[in-house]
Amino acid sequence: MSRLILLGNPETKRAVYLKKGAEKAGAEVEVLDWREFPHNFEEIYFQEEEIFLKIDPPLWNSCCLEELDRLVLKYEGNLDYLAASVRSKGITFLNHPQGIKELLDKRGCKRRLKKAGIPVTEELETESTSAILQRECEYPLTEQLLDTMERQKIFQVFIKPNHGSGAAGVMAFRYEPRKGQTALYTCAAEQTTTGSLVNTKRLRRFTDRRKVCSIVEGLLKTDCIVERWYAKAENKGFSYDLRAVVQDGKIDFMLARLSAGPITNLQLNNHPLRAEELGLSSAVKNQVEQVCRQAAACWPSLRSVGVDILLERRSLRPRVIEMNGQGDLIYQDIYGENKIYCRQAEMMKRWQQGEKQQTGRGGSTD
Amino acid sequence: MGKSKRYEYDYAQYENGKGSGTMIGDILADPDFNQVTDVTIGSWGSPWEDNCQAILDGIVDNQDKFAHVKQLFVGDMGYEDCEVSWITQGNYGRLWKALPGLKELTIKGSTDLSLGEVEHENLEALTIICGGLPVSVLEEIQKAKLPNLKKLVLYIGVEYYGFDGDEDTLRTFLEKSDFPKLTYLGIEDSEIQDQLTQVVLESKYIGQIHTLDLANGTLTDKGGALLLEKIPSCPNIKVLDIHYHYLSDNMAQQLKGLPIEVDVSEANEPEEYDGEMWMDAMLTE
Repeated sequence: MSRLILLGNPETKRAVYLKKGAEKAGAEVEVLDWREFPHNFEEIYFQEEEIFLKIDPPLWNSCCLEELDRLVLKYEGNLDYLAASVRSKGITFLNHPQGIKELLDKRGCKRRLKKAGIPVTEELETESTSAILQRECEYPLTEQLLDTMERQKIFQVFIKPNHGSGAAGVMAFRYEPRKGQTALYTCAAEQTTTGSLVNTKRLRRFTDRRKVCSIVEGLLKTDCIVERWYAKAENKGFSYDLRAVVQDGKIDFMLARLSAGPITNLQLNNHPLRAEELGLSSAVKNQVEQVCRQAAACWPSLRSVGVDILLERRSLRPRVIEMNGQGDLIYQDIYGENKIYCRQAEMMKRWQQGEKQQTGRGGSTD
Repeated sequence: MGKSKRYEYDYAQYENGKGSGTMIGDILADPDFNQVTDVTIGSWGSPWEDNCQAILDGIVDNQDKFAHVKQLFVGDMGYEDCEVSWITQGNYGRLWKALPGLKELTIKGSTDLSLGEVEHENLEALTIICGGLPVSVLEEIQKAKLPNLKKLVLYIGVEYYGFDGDEDTLRTFLEKSDFPKLTYLGIEDSEIQDQLTQVVLESKYIGQIHTLDLANGTLTDKGGALLLEKIPSCPNIKVLDIHYHYLSDNMAQQLKGLPIEVDVSEANEPEEYDGEMWMDAMLTE
């Protein structure tokens, strides 16, 4: 006997549409609720059946960025637990927990991609935040960042929590040294009582240097990455980036996320558009698809990954912004063909039918 | 039919030494250029650092090679390239004589912008897009000799980004300027859009224009009521553009009911912050 399991959240679209896909494929997927983890997992784990497991992200309701850090840590602990559990029992994962964890670390993800020769949005060469803090340097981190930007002649950057997801805490920051002007676009806001950063659903722009520096300082004190802000390609006056879902080496979906501000994220009321409607040349399309496939191939233990890519304005040169081992929920797909989850359900079904040793970059079993 | 073409540098080109000083050379080296009548200049690499004077001077120095250009847009860039208020412009004083065949000029950004003495026989359209229009520039346009100007669009913007005037400044401007052929008047993007609406409706141009453009500002029902009252007595006005506004649904519907073409798209709602209601014009930086 074998069982197809989704460790996730039963009422979410991720679970509902995977189940719809499974129904279509003639498979049955059971959902284990994260809220009952690890007890529900242990119950299954100690039974005889073989397991194919897909891991969805847990639901996080906090908007406080420090709290999100803590939640990520807890989640990473759970992924470690799942990764360790396969040492005593064979579990086939859609995406191996170790790989999912590796992609939660934006810095690590980017370094691996860069090593593989894949173009990424480059990090600024800064002294690491922790090194600076260890020296108990009195000079504010924001001022140090401004110095670095001026020295490297890079006047616009993105600052992101290293472990964040979506637009949570992301800051687009610009500096003009001639007059010392700054501009900051972010969904993060300082809580009036505590001063700590909270995430909101609205993009704001700040220009008052003291205010800007105070907000940026808050993020720089956490584990964050600073990378160059590349002017993104535009379509009808909106800039956009792309989210591709690559599964078993094939691009199953590609969506453009158009935005009237520098932070593109579908949760920010940005406007999605099917990539085919961008009117890109086949040369550019091929290049983007190749970069997506190459990026996905860097994590052979992940059969389904989301790859966020920007195209530089004018040259349309693609660069990977980040990747996500659980980036498969695309509303434009589930309300359409539901291709992404149908394909996952087919992978599960094939496994159940005995095709357990996948060809090529197959599922990972320890 | 002439061709239109955009010339700009991306960051990699800027890093490799491209800038405002190389732009004209690159434009002239373009084999298509002698067919291009509509020239758009986007980012020149570091518009926050280097102004576009070298580009303007380059056009003047090569005026014969630019003689076929009918439309020129200097500074067409979005937030991905540069904050609008950081785009450093230049002095256009020598351009007027150098390009006698120019029909349309659009300028984005008002930092360090000067139009100089404006005198041009053939210019038909002048647009300035910015987050704050300095009075000094407004005065230059006020004194301008543009006998064939048909379309004038000015983004007024906010004080913080350079608009150092008020409704009286605009009243004086509309009184003293002389554009006998003006048919399109755009006074856009203001945080005192209601007051400016009143000033525009009282101006001499209201009897000669066919398009009234008061878009992208904080137009409320107060300004809407003025428009409802005045427009029916101006049969020359065929188009009213007030997209991006703070009108109530009811007022927007009434304006839509005017027997002319009305754009009331992009409705906004004031936001409450610290007990006060705030309204922003579309471009306020």
